[in-house]
Amino acid sequence: MTTASDRPSASEGVNRPHSHASKTGKGVGASLRRKEDARFLHGRGRYVGDIAVPGMLEVAFLRSPVAHARLLGVTKPAGAQDRVFLAADLPEIAPIRAVSALPGFRVSEQTALATGKVRHVGEAIAACLASSRAEAEDLAAACEPEFEVLPAISDMLTARAPGVPLIHEHWAENVFLETRREEDLSDLDAVAAAKVTRVLRTSRQSMAPIEGRGVLAEWDTRLEQLVVTTASQQPHVSKTGIAEALGLDEGQVRVIAPDVGGGFGYKAILLPEELVCCALAMRLQRPVRWLEDRLEQLTANANCREHHYIVTAWADREGRLLGCDVDATVDSGAYSSYPFSACLEAAQIGSIFPGPYILPRFRYHTLSACTNKPPILPYRGVARPGVCYAMETTLDALARQLGLSAEAIRAVNLVPKEAMPYRNLVGKHFDSGDYKEALRRAVALVDVPKVRARQAKGECVGVGLASFCEQGAHGTSVYHGWGMPMVPGFEQAQARFTPDGVLELRVGLHSHGQGLETTLAQVAHEILGVDPARVRLVHGDTALTPYSTGTWGSRAMVMAGGAVAEACRQLGERALTIGAALLQAERGEVELAGGTVRRRGGAGIALEEIARTWYRRPQNLPADVDRGGLDVTAGYRPDPDTGTHSYACHAVVARVDVETGAVTLEDYVVVEDGGVLVNPMIVDGQVLGGTAQGIGTALYEEMPYDAQGQPLAGTLADYLLPGATEVPDIRLDHMETPSPWTRFGQKGIGESGAIGPAGAILNAINDALAPLGAEVFDLPATPARVLAAIEAARR
Amino acid sequence: MKRPISLTVNGRAETVLAEPRTHLAGLLREGLRLTGTHIGCEHGVCGACTVEVDGAPARACLLHAGAAEGASVRTVEGFDGDAVMTALREAFSAEHALQCGYCTPGMLVTARDIILRLPDADEARVREELAGNLCRCTGYRGIVRAILRVLAQRRG
Ligand code: FES
Ligand code: FES
Repeated sequence: MTTASDRPSASEGVNRPHSHASKTGKGVGASLRRKEDARFLHGRGRYVGDIAVPGMLEVAFLRSPVAHARLLGVTKPAGAQDRVFLAADLPEIAPIRAVSALPGFRVSEQTALATGKVRHVGEAIAACLASSRAEAEDLAAACEPEFEVLPAISDMLTARAPGVPLIHEHWAENVFLETRREEDLSDLDAVAAAKVTRVLRTSRQSMAPIEGRGVLAEWDTRLEQLVVTTASQQPHVSKTGIAEALGLDEGQVRVIAPDVGGGFGYKAILLPEELVCCALAMRLQRPVRWLEDRLEQLTANANCREHHYIVTAWADREGRLLGCDVDATVDSGAYSSYPFSACLEAAQIGSIFPGPYILPRFRYHTLSACTNKPPILPYRGVARPGVCYAMETTLDALARQLGLSAEAIRAVNLVPKEAMPYRNLVGKHFDSGDYKEALRRAVALVDVPKVRARQAKGECVGVGLASFCEQGAHGTSVYHGWGMPMVPGFEQAQARFTPDGVLELRVGLHSHGQGLETTLAQVAHEILGVDPARVRLVHGDTALTPYSTGTWGSRAMVMAGGAVAEACRQLGERALTIGAALLQAERGEVELAGGTVRRRGGAGIALEEIARTWYRRPQNLPADVDRGGLDVTAGYRPDPDTGTHSYACHAVVARVDVETGAVTLEDYVVVEDGGVLVNPMIVDGQVLGGTAQGIGTALYEEMPYDAQGQPLAGTLADYLLPGATEVPDIRLDHMETPSPWTRFGQKGIGESGAIGPAGAILNAINDALAPLGAEVFDLPATPARVLAAIEAARR
Repeated sequence: MKRPISLTVNGRAETVLAEPRTHLAGLLREGLRLTGTHIGCEHGVCGACTVEVDGAPARACLLHAGAAEGASVRTVEGFDGDAVMTALREAFSAEHALQCGYCTPGMLVTARDIILRLPDADEARVREELAGNLCRCTGYRGIVRAILRVLAQRRG
């Protein structure tokens, strides 16, 4: 039993109660403690690196030390011919081709091991095998690759400069895709009260889950099946990709994702390394394992968030946006990754730039630039953190010109709640919410007058805001137009009683920290009344679960939550039929209550007993019982499936040390609305963790590259992740506007936290620097950048 | 060349054949199959590999196996029955101080050291003491609160 005193205090940010409270304290709305905690707290989690099998070989990859070169050949170490594999040795692996149907998209061919050319530092050239990783690394170090080094495209803005080398030589230019929306805005200069143009840049980041990637591939000779244990957010998509690349039937590939030590998008990809391990396991008939180390992760896989914007915005006297003109470039790296492609990020900038605001006129142009860097992957929030940064800092610049407050300019532009559901000018369909109320609360929670008083005394302190919304769980209708290798459809879940009456749930998406073993048990409890302690979740194994596109896009709780609810509802129907027969009642006379089937208002029969009867005492069943039994697979999709929109306002108080350029976050408030929260404690955790990552984006994390395309941060002492002293005690306040489109009114909110920090923090910094006439434009706002901005203003 | 290395792990005398260049984390994980000690960077920054060596927290990735000869090592698997660890586990769960769980074993070993060494630590001090343990999932609030909760319990 959960009692009031041992309820978590984790959700007590600003102490606003959650309105949707589970009646039993265990269903939807309950901050139930996590079922998965015990194994992690005792060191009994099981991650890929924890699994060793007899006869296993370890792989170390020889990786390219240069960003762009013709690969003339590789001399294998003497005596190691059969332990070093090059692309030519593994012709059974087809190149990865992650297409997009968007017009003009150029498709790259990424071979699992470099063929002919290397296109970024860290690209795998050879797989070296030994009985330990250290020996495999020795082998890799003894290989002698020969290169003809070519000039590298290190800066995305030079990707289409005249005379630059072509990264993919059959392409016309170094561009995956260009998208645009034309609208003539030339009349706005004459009518606008304010106009700003800003040039902004964000740095390349590494998602840096603390667990790296890892793969263990084995060939099961009995089943003639590849068994691939891999740290994946989407095991079924990996299975499809592996089967396609190796020319196997999908039934010949089983992908198991065990405990996954953080994903954030980093593990939502078909890996070249997976394909190599699979091919080697088949070839050698030995288990083959590769575990990514931190050097590989930082130098070969800093793969996200690098954007460049030129934004022009016009507003009237009250700050109402009249129009925006956006030119955005995203560094997509050298290849198109499977399944999300190289253009997901840039191409969605057009559709998400208006954010939560009413934007009447809009012109945009986006470019997915091909460079000699690792292929882009969508990191938590995908393009939204960059877009939110661009929009929010632009709004503040307009407000400064107009003499308006940051709150006022947002209030006049946010979509009002009376307009919900609202479709904006690029077709985004907002489900519900009171965006202005979130803004109002956030402003009320940080003490703005006090900040102003400190500023008046000459303190370099500022307050910053960011309002945004996050589309989550968007489905077929949104994704089919992208034409990527993967289009999400109906999410399926299986619910069954085992003979002892335990409820077993099976879903095809996977947890990498979200606590689905708990939250999906809460959903099942809500429908069937089974105690969550008697619910087991099976996930992370394609042989045991229905197909799913996986955990990404803030979709798990909406999609799997809906599917589990539906499967449990149907399972309940089956149990009711059996229960009615056992109670010698009509089907219409019985109901599900508290884990029993009972005659309305009368005595009940436990679900355990019904399960026992179905499996072990069938003689007690009537002959005409539903023969489907206590095992149901159900599909679910919200209607419409254009996605839920959670939203938030972040408010920050930041102090700037003008001598050192250091920024201290004195207060950080998040007001957010994720609709009905299945487990508020877990949602808080998602928001807090995302916000910490956003603080990294805003202030610390940067993978610099030199002009030759060399990554310059090879350790976590160079690539700075925020620690406990960099992340303040974030205060949370919840609103709860149910989505009208989902099973319980829940909204996807897993990525939300990461979206707002850069905008809010940079606005606070620039508010603090305003008396000096200084402004920081580029991320992260490191001490060096802050000092440079102050210096530039002095000159 | 592998050579035998003798040490005490979780109260048991063990002799493990290991390459001297292996680090202690590798010896524990591969040699003794104690996989609760995690590896996140192998260069001493992330703290995922934190174990107790001769009574104090240490980074198992920075200690060569050879240097662990004769040492007494305690890993996350070795704290059953330890009152502080039991309280921390309870508090970590109550405060949602873990998500993916990967940083958790190292966090717990560091947290236990904070509790025993700094009974009067306040929030700022706890955060400073945690600076050598990175978590990418939680944003630290739950971890800090869990430690403060146990400190408060022990102060009575
Ligand atoms: S693995 Fe030892 S500190 Fe990171
Ligand atoms: S819980 Fe995932 S790294 Fe800390």
